[in-house]
Amino acid sequence: MEKPKHFLYPGAIYVSHEPSMITTILGSCIAVCLYDSVLQIGGMNHFMLPLWNGQGLASPRYGNIAIDKLIRKLESLGSSKANIKAKVFGGGEIIATNINQFMIGDRNIRIAKDLLHEEGIPIVSSSVGGKLGRKIIFNTQTGEVRQKYVGGQK
Amino acid sequence: MSEIKLTDEFLIEELKLRFEEKKESLKKLEKLTTELKEVNHKLAESEALKSHFISNITNEIVNPFTSIVILSKNILSIKEGQWERVMKMANLIFTEAFNLDFQLKNIFAAAEIEAGELFLEVSNVTVDTLINAVIDSFITEAKKKRIVFEFIKIETETEELRFKTDSEKLRLILSNLVENAVKYSKNEKIIIKRKVQDGVLTISVQDFGIGISENNKKVIFDRFKRLDTGINSINRGHGLGLSINKALLDFLSGQIDIESTKNVGSTFTINIPEAVSDAESFSADGSDYIFDTDDEIF
Repeated sequence: MEKPKHFLYPGAIYVSHEPSMITTILGSCIAVCLYDSVLQIGGMNHFMLPLWNGQGLASPRYGNIAIDKLIRKLESLGSSKANIKAKVFGGGEIIATNINQFMIGDRNIRIAKDLLHEEGIPIVSSSVGGKLGRKIIFNTQTGEVRQKYVGGQK
Repeated sequence: MSEIKLTDEFLIEELKLRFEEKKESLKKLEKLTTELKEVNHKLAESEALKSHFISNITNEIVNPFTSIVILSKNILSIKEGQWERVMKMANLIFTEAFNLDFQLKNIFAAAEIEAGELFLEVSNVTVDTLINAVIDSFITEAKKKRIVFEFIKIETETEELRFKTDSEKLRLILSNLVENAVKYSKNEKIIIKRKVQDGVLTISVQDFGIGISENNKKVIFDRFKRLDTGINSINRGHGLGLSINKALLDFLSGQIDIESTKNVGSTFTINIPEAVSDAESFSADGSDYIFDTDDEIF
């Protein structure tokens, strides 16, 4: 049966009981896909910057907030952390227009790995870094993620 | 002999170089530490503001509700033929209810943004109608302060200027700008300009109010931040409006700029690029979900 599709925008999080196909497009951003193989549910975030610096709203545009919120949302659907596994994508160093964005991909990758490690969630596979953008589709029922490289953007 | 001398010089050069390098990294470390301190301070402040916000909820939400309940009760007990009193009270009810509605919309928007539950709902927005609707909604409040609105349409021939964007988000952004303009000016006009050029919608809201100092320009987008938090402050609100605007504009790939001089007035200008509608960019082409054989599987 066709699963509901969800396009994940930067700064958003999607977690659902219902099996769904979550897709997103990544440049230097990171998407963490979490999958609970016991309940067969999953969710994804899409963050742009590693850490919230206290400016503006504490939104999941920032890695530290996005990862924490994603885990909490899965837990609120009944997942236990011991059953959650992670797959990490993105963090490419595509040509940045803004000098402040320098190395942003690397810093995003680091924060994802550090925070997941702190939470005790294993990263079972990942595709990070490089010079290209990525398009990924996450099947939240099986935990499978399909990836395609796309010409650098975002 | 000469060879040894050369080595000495070389060594000294090398030492100098290393000292320089060390100095450089010390400087970098110092800079990082300063930044860290700043962030730390911000986070502590944000936490404090958050608790302030919660304690303020009584004033901001419960009190207006109480007035609405009492006022409507009073209306119900009014005798026939006292229309003037009814009108007065209905007016007060409207003001309280309008403010309440507006503040709740902002609180919900902030909650949605912080929960990561934003999504884009693109439609073909009739820009002028939307701007007029926002102006209309503030007209009662503006009249009280004898403020008039001036709406200037730049470089468009027809009324029917249409622009693809998320209309609800644009409406909230604009409402926040107009609300601030009304709040911080007296007896003056507010000028709203709009134009569309090269697929970018630009709207500016100019007031001739109290203005914002250079220092404060940096903090006005922080959540719960209000510049006049003194006990005598006559202005209400949570200080959420501009932080929401910033977040919503980020989401729409837009920008917000401030030009302001203390005691002269402020101009807030937003720029929003036209959205490719959902259908075009994504869900319409089913090929997004037809897997190629060259997809990598993780």
